[in-house]
Amino acid sequence: CDTLASLNPFDQGEKYEMKIVPDVPAEKIYDDGLGRMKSSDHEGAAKKFAQLSKNYPYSEWARRGLIMEAYANYEAQKWEDAITASRSYLSKYPNTKDAAYAQYLLAMSNYNQIPDVTRDQERSEKALAALQELVQKYPDSEYVSDARNRIQIARDQLAGKEMEVGRYYLEKRNFPAAINRFREVVSKYQTTRHVEEALERLTEAYMALGITQEAQTAAAVLGHNFPDSPWYKDAYALLQSGGLEPREESQSWISRAFRGLRTAALGQ
Amino acid sequence: QEIVVQGNGRVDAETVRSYVTGSGSLEEARRNMIQSGMFSDVRLSRQGNRIVVNVREAVTVNRVVVEGNRKLNKDALEGDLQTKARRPFNQATVDADVARLKEIYARIGRAAAKVSARTVDLPNGRVDVVFTVDEGGKTGVAEINFVGNEAFSSRRLRELMNTTEMNFLSFLKTNDVYDPEKIAQDAEIIRRHYLKNGYADFQLVSTDVRYDEAKEGYVITFTVSEGQQYRVGSVGFDSRVEQVSPDILKDEIETQVGEVYNAEDVEKTLSNMTNAAVRRGQPFVIVRPTGARNPATHTVDIGFVVEEGPRVYIERINVRGNTRTRDYVVRRELDIGEGDPFNKVLMDRAERRLNGLGYFKKVRITTEPGSSADRVVVNIDVEDQPTGAFSISGGYSTSDGAIGEVAVSESNFLGRGQFVRLAGQIGQRSNGVDFSFTEPYFLGYRFAAGFDLFSKYSDQTQYSRYENRTTGGQIRIGLPLTEESGVTLRYSLYEQSLKIPNTTRRPFNDCSVPIPGYTTLNPNGTAAYPACAYDGEASIAVKESQGSTLTSLAGLTLAYNTVNDLRNPRNGLYAEAKPEFAGLGGDSNFFRISGEARYYHEIYEDIVGLVKIQGGHIEATGRNRSSNGLLTFGGDLRLVDHFFLGPTLVRGFAPSGIGPRDISTPDSAQNALGGTTYIGGTLEAQFPIPLIPRDLGLKGAVFADAGTLFGYRGPRGFDVTRDGLITCGVATIQPECVDVRDRMVIRSSVGASILWNSPLGPIRFDYAYALSKDEGVIRTYPGVGPVRVGQDQTQAFRFSGGTRF
Amino acid sequence: CMVGEDLHHGYVLDERALAQVKPGMPAEQVLQIMGTPSTVSTVGNKSWYYISQVKSRTLHFMGDTVTDQRVTAIYFNNGLRVERVALYGMQDGKVFDFISRKTEAGGQEANFVSQLFRGLGTFIPHS
Repeated sequence: CDTLASLNPFDQGEKYEMKIVPDVPAEKIYDDGLGRMKSSDHEGAAKKFAQLSKNYPYSEWARRGLIMEAYANYEAQKWEDAITASRSYLSKYPNTKDAAYAQYLLAMSNYNQIPDVTRDQERSEKALAALQELVQKYPDSEYVSDARNRIQIARDQLAGKEMEVGRYYLEKRNFPAAINRFREVVSKYQTTRHVEEALERLTEAYMALGITQEAQTAAAVLGHNFPDSPWYKDAYALLQSGGLEPREESQSWISRAFRGLRTAALGQ
Repeated sequence: QEIVVQGNGRVDAETVRSYVTGSGSLEEARRNMIQSGMFSDVRLSRQGNRIVVNVREAVTVNRVVVEGNRKLNKDALEGDLQTKARRPFNQATVDADVARLKEIYARIGRAAAKVSARTVDLPNGRVDVVFTVDEGGKTGVAEINFVGNEAFSSRRLRELMNTTEMNFLSFLKTNDVYDPEKIAQDAEIIRRHYLKNGYADFQLVSTDVRYDEAKEGYVITFTVSEGQQYRVGSVGFDSRVEQVSPDILKDEIETQVGEVYNAEDVEKTLSNMTNAAVRRGQPFVIVRPTGARNPATHTVDIGFVVEEGPRVYIERINVRGNTRTRDYVVRRELDIGEGDPFNKVLMDRAERRLNGLGYFKKVRITTEPGSSADRVVVNIDVEDQPTGAFSISGGYSTSDGAIGEVAVSESNFLGRGQFVRLAGQIGQRSNGVDFSFTEPYFLGYRFAAGFDLFSKYSDQTQYSRYENRTTGGQIRIGLPLTEESGVTLRYSLYEQSLKIPNTTRRPFNDCSVPIPGYTTLNPNGTAAYPACAYDGEASIAVKESQGSTLTSLAGLTLAYNTVNDLRNPRNGLYAEAKPEFAGLGGDSNFFRISGEARYYHEIYEDIVGLVKIQGGHIEATGRNRSSNGLLTFGGDLRLVDHFFLGPTLVRGFAPSGIGPRDISTPDSAQNALGGTTYIGGTLEAQFPIPLIPRDLGLKGAVFADAGTLFGYRGPRGFDVTRDGLITCGVATIQPECVDVRDRMVIRSSVGASILWNSPLGPIRFDYAYALSKDEGVIRTYPGVGPVRVGQDQTQAFRFSGGTRF
Repeated sequence: CMVGEDLHHGYVLDERALAQVKPGMPAEQVLQIMGTPSTVSTVGNKSWYYISQVKSRTLHFMGDTVTDQRVTAIYFNNGLRVERVALYGMQDGKVFDFISRKTEAGGQEANFVSQLFRGLGTFIPHS
């Protein structure tokens, strides 16, 4: 803070003197960066590539420097810097050949910071959005298949968060809150692994409320779609103890949705 | 179409082409290129099927330099400038940078700083941009004046404000800088202060700020119109919700008729009434205050209107920003869940409780519309703060000498809200290590379960001739009963080992164990009594307690606490009672109960009164096996389990300076035996020291203490020489009987202390003069003559200070 | 009895409003009278449930025990008109232990060491 500085009477502040700094040619900086990448000094490499866009703005070197800067930061696991570099590449050079890679780096930098389900899933949402944009904007890029795989995992993470909160409310016996959280998983995250447990938890919640007909339907949908899932065995056992068979009301909105999904799922 | 680029030097044609292809029309391309700042002039024309782009590049900036800056460092300043090296020179950007530098300096209180910019042409065709800063003097707040204030003195109002006037401490503090935002906050503080004291008509007429060259600072003048002081004329309420009957609300009212009108009491009444309605299943109730002023009679008639608010439910609660703390740690603190009715008062209570956790820098609860008209989404935005602390602290106190502590603690372990602490102490007369762990929500209930492990060594020889090491552990469960009260159940198992030093430097046991070549001996080789006692000899009661004993003790603490903030108490009561029973195995069998009650009350502005009473009693409940097999008779409570009290009971006395003493040897000063019953009381007033600026953090206190400690129930005779006989008369060695002086004398003292919240940490000086004490008795000892023994040990001056860095 | 606090959770049932709901009444009108339901059936939202609960907490640490739980169910026919109204009380609810097992979820576990040094490892997906 300024209190210490004010005590020091000698500091008069620097004076300006003219001196010319020789320009280092762009190729040398770029090669120097690549050299550092090989010796896995990623942070040093990132600094070198950043110098490129600083010293030679608006040149082809600046563009190549920027994408390499994003890549170097990604390798150095400095996620925030990788995100800033890849985002500035996408805004400056949207329709160049490396744009897909920049989008991939942006997505993966968020993806690698996804925390466990008990903590804020903002990273998962950002990763999901970036991955979906990659699949939609650069459909024929080589990263699309990996992106589709990661989308599934990011969605699984978001469903996991809903389940975590749902289970919290179930344990607190706040059944409407729990039911609505599990319904969110059943309707929005059908393709994730959590949907089986969501249906079983719905059976439990409705049984605790005493609305056995809803419990039956949830268990029936679960049995219909995941007959050999351990969750179906639990739901079935629960209904047995309550003296009820699981039966599904056929024309329900949810079983129609599942029928469509099931044919698609089995097709894969 | 082919694109021809002419006139470009540094910028290559490819980049220019990407601008043309990237924009819809030629005009848009031209605008984008100018905006990029790379070119000072751009002309596009269409010739046949070719587009000709003619550019003139702006000259490039070689280096950007800031000179003459002392207060702020160069990089921070250069980071803010828009003019960048190797970018085209643009006069508009440079002018904007000059203004930006001026604003930065104004914000740190240097409004008088002058900033100018100049360019230096270089031989290689580039240009250097130099920003010259003349920082000028510090422009703080020279004076704060008030006009129109009769009810409160200008000095009193100034003390309420955060902004302070410049004085000889200016180089140390930063809150004397003129900052319009802070001045606005101060105005609000003053307004609330007036509303709290009955000035319902209060108005802040104007806040005039002018820079005074002579005083080298700002002079701020608040013009206020206080209006009259109002008292409460009548208090009425009408409930338009039939389930909420008036008599429920009657006892929630904080404002009494005839009392000075206090806006904060009105607000408190509103939230009390809403809480009462919520508890009766009416969560949608809104309470609105109405006030009718009656200038003639200086009274205001207050009314509370209870109405049915909108029936809105919480659709979803999102916890956001918790990068470390787990979701359920936040959610479990809320009494409301998803699907419950939305109620502002419960929201505020939840926000206060979350802020109280200490895991978050700040917690903000906001709402946004839900998926239907009667649904709302609640967003809880938290910002985790590092809750780990690594602290090294040192200090000095007259009782323990110089002590140092190294501690590592984490109050939000793994984001689960658990508390973990490991600490080591090193000191002149004591050292130790302890570890503690607490889970605030054990098994999902609001139990605060935890355990502690400790090993402490303390050299008591300055006051009672023995060294003591206690090693053990404890498990505990804290159960909150209501908002203010709770009970903690405890089981602890610890081993205490007591040793009497017997070296030439500290010969406190040489009568029993003569030190060859040092202790004068009788012809038959035993120590010559009383000569061996002159250099200080442990009482035979202490000798009996040598060795180690195991104590297994179960107990509970009942606590009731309504104090606003225990670190800076102003109002409220803190009371605790601690019954303990030792005897589930182990060597000690006793029942002990101790209690304390402290009542704080703010007598007048900033002067806090304190009334404290404390007491305790211990009773042996069975044979306390001695640890060294000596033949004994008399009471069967072990010496170490007695109460040894001093300054904590009555200030002005040394540690173990009060209570029963063994006067069988002339060295009774250091041979306290401890007592089984104590009672004490304190009257104290803490006040800010007048005439000294508040930001020094100096407070004074005056106090009067009184108390007593009596009832020695330990053994009274030992066969120290193991000759199978207990000889009480003067024998060749020490008399084997304790001669106890045990008086129920009231010890009292008056005194003053200075509390300084210094930059190095809290420091306290206490000076207390003992008014009444046990004067002791004159006793003649063989070979010594008459000696006054058994008197209390006083210690007028006490200092304790510590710093955590 | 002990100093206890009754915490009202969920829907605040207004008997008079419920009395106005008659068979044959269109869904929009029910929405007007009763407001949005606590939850709707997972089965084609043709049954609306208004769930209210009273928990009492005798001592703070004891946690809350459910003392009264009431579900007001309104069933609609295909024409979205009220078919029947049903009430489920505490006694209908089955009491059992919820399954403690949970589906594995990914994401970096916040281990103590990584928190100290902020260098979170790469993400290990649980496929």
